[in-house]
Amino acid sequence: MKRKKIIRIILISLLIVIAGVAFYAYKEFNRKQKDLTGMRPEFTVSAVDFIKEFGINEKAVNKKYQDKVIEVNGIVKESIKDEKGFCTIVLGDTLAMSSVRCSMDSMHNGGLKNILKGNNLSIKGICTGYNDDELLGADIILNRGVISNKN
Amino acid sequence: MKKILLASALFLSAFALQAQDKYFTKNGTINFGATTLSSLEKVEGVNKSVTCVADIKTGNIQFAALMKGFEFERSLMQEHFNENYVESDKFPKAEFKGTIVDNANVNYLKDGVYAVKVKGKLSMHGETKDVETDGNITLKNGKITTTANFEVALSDFKVSIPTLVADKVSKTAKISVDCLLEPLKN
Repeated sequence: MKRKKIIRIILISLLIVIAGVAFYAYKEFNRKQKDLTGMRPEFTVSAVDFIKEFGINEKAVNKKYQDKVIEVNGIVKESIKDEKGFCTIVLGDTLAMSSVRCSMDSMHNGGLKNILKGNNLSIKGICTGYNDDELLGADIILNRGVISNKN
Repeated sequence: MKKILLASALFLSAFALQAQDKYFTKNGTINFGATTLSSLEKVEGVNKSVTCVADIKTGNIQFAALMKGFEFERSLMQEHFNENYVESDKFPKAEFKGTIVDNANVNYLKDGVYAVKVKGKLSMHGETKDVETDGNITLKNGKITTTANFEVALSDFKVSIPTLVADKVSKTAKISVDCLLEPLKN
């Protein structure tokens, strides 16, 4: 009698563990990209300083910022919506070739209508790196961008 | 004095003309797909910050994209793409440098769709390979759109697919490029 009970308990707990693992695997497999709206940035920088920092030592700075949530504030140089509906907001010094280009999270496209050239803006995004081109200048590219505040 | 002025004016105008030969974007898209025919799960990513420069006089064209800039619907897939397959930390950028082979057939002054051949070198994951593909150049209202669809064998770029996922991840990747170019003003 007692032995039966022990076996039953072991079986039940095994089942629970298996179900737990399966549930976790399922959740992990289907995990979607996080919306950055509610996330706290790891770094807050101005667009101009951000570009300057990358220009000094690309490799080390890339390591510091890559894959992290960065909040960048600066002047809007350009707000682009392409024919596929993807939006990009470009921040930085209007006279320089280099900028911080924020590819915006399409979930929040509705909030981008009022963004105009010259606005002062803070955008949160995931830093994906630095794209340096001798002709086009160097850009820092953020993905999944969301507006964190309009100044 | 007049001569110098004239010479410099000529020089400057030559420079200005040269500048108009170049078109660019920093906002192009590349779609990457490596879904096998039998798989229900889509292995697809998109990069929306592709740079492209084209010189319509010489036909030289180049593209660049940050590997980390590819976005996948599932986070786990994106992590695997970056960490296990293309090793984005080691090889952050993909680049194509080539020429439009039949550039002479494109009338850049006339709106229309022109089918072209593009030939060049694609660098990714630390490997550089010759690539040749058909593409289209579309002219509309002074703007140029370059599109191309081609396939690359992932093994050419030393990207190996573990047997565990071989039924889901294809050995060849479909790549489609779409860039709307604007004149490059200096």
